[in-house]
Parts: sequence; structure tokens; C-alpha cells
Amino acid sequence: MMSGETGYDADTVRHAAETIGMHAGDAMTRLFPDGSAGMPSVAKDAIWNDWESFAGLAEELHRYAEGLALAADNAPASQSDTKSNTSAMMGGSDMMGANSMMGSGDMMADDTMGREELAEMPANAVFAKVSDTCSSCHTRFRAKVK
Amino acid sequence: MRRVLAGVAVLALSGTAAIAALVVWPIGGPPAEIELTGDVQRGAYLARASGCIACHTNFEDGGAPLAGGAPLETPFGVFYPPNITTDPEHGIGDWSLSDFAMTVRQGVSPDGEPLFPAFTYPFYADFSDQDVADMWAAFQTVAPVTNPAPPHDVGFPFNQRWGLKLWRALFMHDPQTEPVEGKSVDWNRGRQPVRGAAHCGACHTGRNLAGGRMPDAVFAGNDDLPGGNKAPSILSDDLADRGWTVANLSYALQSGVTPSGDVFGGSMGEVVQNGTRFLSKSDLKAMAIYLLDSDVPEGRALAGTPSIGKTID
Repeated sequence: MMSGETGYDADTVRHAAETIGMHAGDAMTRLFPDGSAGMPSVAKDAIWNDWESFAGLAEELHRYAEGLALAADNAPASQSDTKSNTSAMMGGSDMMGANSMMGSGDMMADDTMGREELAEMPANAVFAKVSDTCSSCHTRFRAKVK
Repeated sequence: MRRVLAGVAVLALSGTAAIAALVVWPIGGPPAEIELTGDVQRGAYLARASGCIACHTNFEDGGAPLAGGAPLETPFGVFYPPNITTDPEHGIGDWSLSDFAMTVRQGVSPDGEPLFPAFTYPFYADFSDQDVADMWAAFQTVAPVTNPAPPHDVGFPFNQRWGLKLWRALFMHDPQTEPVEGKSVDWNRGRQPVRGAAHCGACHTGRNLAGGRMPDAVFAGNDDLPGGNKAPSILSDDLADRGWTVANLSYALQSGVTPSGDVFGGSMGEVVQNGTRFLSKSDLKAMAIYLLDSDVPEGRALAGTPSIGKTID
């Protein structure tokens, strides 16, 4: 739906976002008690070595998912080809305008975005934040399965 | 006995001579002066696509952009992607455009030393003068960082730079990014980053014991990536078997979200987060079009072909 392959449906998005929200934050970190690394888990030790980052991402997911549920009625913004890409990368006129360059630029810069602000955004923009958070966390804390 | 000793002496002498020859064997060379004006935006885009920023920035430790990347643990030692900011002492601030061109396209440092192929220069060999000038212009906008990256921690014999000249002679293949006649515009447009700048093959192609990519294993996957990561096969048939389409593959490269609703983790997560998500949708679509119809010979059909130092598994 978010990739545009099927039509947008606000109820489906809201419902899914609520489900993700319920499993995020504390509900998620509770599932990673000390000493639960190792097979069959694919959790990396980094989770417990850097619990703060892990819990932070879980809480960020919680916030973004709830924001997405609130934003579900906001029709997805059309994403022109040039939009997110070049501007996200450049920030300003130079290559590395601090936030732009850090890749996760918009994630980091928006760290403080509250649910109310998210509720005003196009649904697909909030969804991108949700999926970026999934990806950040899996990149740092999930070992490869096969 | 005497003959044996003589033989050993001859071997030792010729070995020494061979090494001496290697040490002085000139490689690369400064290209003709490039007098093009670079486009910062295009250069920054290309630097993203090429992984310069992903590899030379230590995101996890909050390192400054391009000030040196996270260590790369390999069977040959630990490589630390260097500081490539504009600092003249610890970065590349005192380089010329020619130095930069030679480094990126040929893997040869300004003082003529071959660089370790942990730096993926073999993929950048086909960059045009304009590409290089654009990237150089973009690099000029990077704030200098006055700290050096740690030196590589590579033991004997891999720390002998002359050995890299042999490596280059054996394993440096043409990246094959040039357009192929009879193929669509999109296909050719995708072939360029996939085989070149975005260097998919650096991880998705198996390597031999010397770390050279095996010609008969292109895109067939690699289970022994640095840091215990694994890269699956991205041969066209395998991608199709696993349910990838042009639409869901280009979307995954942009968002990190896979068709099952999972997200990429591990090193592919980094590739998306610090690289491909910044590429235009049309470029990502072209890459997917190429990958799902690539002109890479299916590895398994050729798996019986012996190759130098081929790993046994």
C-alpha cells in the first residue's frame, strides 16, 4: 500500500499502526530480559551492551506508530522523484550539511516530534519514520538468521 | 645435496628478485589533467550511491561525516576506513583532483602506493572525468576533521603493499558498466550503479582465499562477510524465486521494507539507510530492472570451472 502497488485504505493503516504501537516501547523491551541472547534468538549482545539505544528505538517506534494511527486519515503525499532524495541528502547547498549528511538525518532531527505533530503529516511520511525505525533497530541489534 | 642447496639458493634469489621487481613495478599513474567544473549536487549523489559516506563515517559511534568509518574485520586484518574530510593533515585536504581521480578509479594513493581492496575502487574504474570532478567538488564542501582514523591493523604478509600489485594483476576485473546494445535505456541505466558505483558485487559475490572476487560467482551470494554477515544470491533467477519484483525490490532499496513486511537488517540495512534510500526512484527502479534481468552468467552452471584459489565449501 505504501509503495503504491495497492490503493490506500485509512482504516487498514490505522488498525495496523495501532497493533504495532501496542507491541512497541515497553511491551517490546520486556521480551528481551537479560541473558536471553543466543539460539534460537537472533538478538545481538549489543542489545544489552547498549540498552539505552535499544529501548530508545523501541520507544521511538511506539511514538511513531501511534502518530501513524493518528495520521492515517491524511492522504499520502505524492512523492515526486526528485523530492526526498536529493533534498534529503544535501540539506543545504553543500554535501554534508550536518543533519542531511547523517543519513538518518530526518530521523535524528525529528527525534523530538510528538504525536500531535505526526498527526498532521501525510500518512506515508509517518510510515517512512516507522519503517526507518524498524530498519535502524534491526540493523544494529538483529543478527542474520540464515 | 649441493644441487638441492643450489636450487634453494636460486629460488630464494629469484624470489627476492621477483619481490624487488614488484616493489618497483609502477602501477596506475596520474590521468590527464581534468579541467571540468564539478557539480556539487551530482557529486554528493554519486558519493552516496558509491558508499563513500556509508563506509567512511562511523554512524554507530556518532562520528563526524567522512571522518573515518567503523572498523571492517576481515581475515586479513582490521581495516579502518580513513578520514577523507578536507583536513590537509589527517584527511585529503592537500590532494589535487588528479590525486583524487587516481585514488578512486585506480586504487592508487597520491604517493603511488596500491591501496587495500577493502576500498572498493575496482568498481569505480569506469567513472567518467565528469563523475570524478563532481565528486571532488562535493568533497570540497566537507568540514575538516582534525583527528586521524586509526591505522589499519593488518599483519604479515598482507601488510606488504607490493603484494597488492599481484592482487591487482590477478583480481582487478573491469566493472562492466558500459551500455549494452539492444538493451533498454532503463536496463543500461541500472547496470551502471549495480555493477559500478553501488558495488553490489562487493558483498554479493563470493571471494577466494586471497579476497579476490570469483568470476564464476558473480552475484551468487557470500556467507563470509566481515563481521559475520551474509549476503544472499542476487542472481536474477534467485531473486525471482524469492518473490522479488521490480516494484518491491526498488521499494525495498528505498525504504528497507521487504515484501514480507520485514525490514533489512545487518549490512544490507546499513546499505539502505546510508546509501540507496537517497537515490532517486527512477534510479532504484532501473537498478531493480537490471538485477531481475542481469547479464551475469548464472553461477551454478559455471561452478565446476576451476578458478585461482577457489574456496571449497
